[in-house]
Amino acid sequence: MFFLQSLLSGILTGGVYALAGIGMSLVFGVMNISNFAHGDLMMLGMYLAYFSFTLLHIDPYLSLLLIIPTAFLFGCIIEKVFIHRIINHPHQNQILLTIGLGLIMSNSALLCFTSDPKILTTSYSSSAVHIFGGISLSVPLIVSFLITCGITGILYVFLSKTTTGLALWATSQNREAAQLMGINVAKMSAIAFGLGTALAATAGALIAPTYYIHPMAGHTFLLKAFTICVLGGLGSVIGAGVGGVIIGVVESMSSTYLSSDWKDVVVFIIFLAVLLLRPQGLFGKKGEQ
Amino acid sequence: MLIAITAGIASVLPIVTGENPYVIGVMISVLMMAALSSAWNILGGYAGQYSFGHAAYFGAGAYTTMILISKFNFNPLVSIVAGIIAACIIALITGSIVFRLRGHYFGLASIAVAEIVRLSALNFDFTGGAQGILLSDVSLWGLDLNSKNPFYYGMLLVLVVTLGITLYLRTSKTGFYLQAIREDQDAAASLGINLSFYKNKALLISAALTSVLGSLYAVYIRFIDTSAVLDLRLSIEIILTAIIGGVGTLWGPVLGAVLLVPLAELLRSNVIGDALVKHGIVSETSGLGVFLKENLAHAHVLVYGIITVLCILYLPKGILGLFRRAK
Repeated sequence: MFFLQSLLSGILTGGVYALAGIGMSLVFGVMNISNFAHGDLMMLGMYLAYFSFTLLHIDPYLSLLLIIPTAFLFGCIIEKVFIHRIINHPHQNQILLTIGLGLIMSNSALLCFTSDPKILTTSYSSSAVHIFGGISLSVPLIVSFLITCGITGILYVFLSKTTTGLALWATSQNREAAQLMGINVAKMSAIAFGLGTALAATAGALIAPTYYIHPMAGHTFLLKAFTICVLGGLGSVIGAGVGGVIIGVVESMSSTYLSSDWKDVVVFIIFLAVLLLRPQGLFGKKGEQ
Repeated sequence: MLIAITAGIASVLPIVTGENPYVIGVMISVLMMAALSSAWNILGGYAGQYSFGHAAYFGAGAYTTMILISKFNFNPLVSIVAGIIAACIIALITGSIVFRLRGHYFGLASIAVAEIVRLSALNFDFTGGAQGILLSDVSLWGLDLNSKNPFYYGMLLVLVVTLGITLYLRTSKTGFYLQAIREDQDAAASLGINLSFYKNKALLISAALTSVLGSLYAVYIRFIDTSAVLDLRLSIEIILTAIIGGVGTLWGPVLGAVLLVPLAELLRSNVIGDALVKHGIVSETSGLGVFLKENLAHAHVLVYGIITVLCILYLPKGILGLFRRAK
């Protein structure tokens, strides 16, 4: 019973992690940049959901309609102002730049919203449904998971069926060749970063009702998102989806059977093990590392 | 030569500035960051392996020393050596994992190792967990360890040693091999350079020096916890200092520390906010005045972030890079 309980709640949480991981993987695939500001973008999503709930009285899930376009635009602007200037720089400069951007975001949040953790309490925050007798699943997590599935589905159709989506795909496979085929790769980069930001913010908003909202929350999620991407293969969207669910389950299992203090250590050990044994990830191409 | 002159000047500085503990405190921080960043520079600047997890070695030194002194009453010097051994063990494990990887993967793996060390220190009992370790009393050869001077000279000594090693590496076979690895790993390997041996050598030197600084810091402050000595923020500050001064140069990290540490200190101690108020630029009771007074002290990391972004965009080779001819 314990096993089934932690498996199911792990899958549900993992779905939201997957969303963050997919965003990061998309940015990596198209732009070949590891975005260290990803966790902080998620944190901003959490605050957006919090403030649209407390100030505008919009339900956190409904506020996604507001958050997604805002975050997309924000991401495009960041790409245009900062990221596109270092797209051909060495990796370490890209990492440092995004770290710097992340520090600016988290510490601005610290100045504006103070370090007190905020809690988003909706009428259904603590409600749960019971299935198979003893297993209880939190309602906000179920809703978040369903929304995640919906968004992932839409994203998949967008990437595989629309012209823009295919152009993004082409850019991620070979930037130069895509440019020669007449694809505006600069625009694709902006779109990819915008999408990545929107996905991060969505993941943040979805997790907001079940998590402490804190300016430094991004740190934990950043490392999780990286683990997910590496597990799935950096740049692989499907891989990130599967990786997210795996990490969710691993976390929930290690809290149940080990201790919740050590769950992050288990995640990092898996991360290193993947890097050692299968650095291309579960779904990645060989020879990229 | 320049090292000797600077060291000479630095060693008489405490006498010139008098016994003002605040000023000496800031100077110790400058020396420590300069040495940390120089030690990082051996691996990051010369071998081109950007470690984002150097806090792990700093913390290894700090924790080993504190545990041995506070629980087993070891001689501080012996515990510093023990700290070096602990840091080298972590470095060897790290090296065996991360040096097989390149680019993004290397940076990510170094963070993961550092995070495992941090979380372990946070969760084990013998490391004091979230409460950290407090040291009540320590003595060595009748030195007055309550005064700051021994630590000032200790940090200075480590800095000089680090710079000396860097200088030696620049003109030694190992140094040339490391630079060859930095410029083109595959070409270096095809010339018969043993990549993992030289990368590990650079990492071990760098980690050992970093751990000595961690030990000194721990005995100096007499209190450590994971957020002080193992945080990712520390690793980033070390890199940032080197970047601003100039990565892969002898004096870049020192220059970076001389600029950055006092700036952070000014922001942290609210000198800037007070000055703005005192000179009547901002009224103390106005909304902005109150805001500055309350918040500017927390803003130094924000300023670090802004400096990082500006530096990468406009000065990717650092301040010293401006003066070097483009290759």
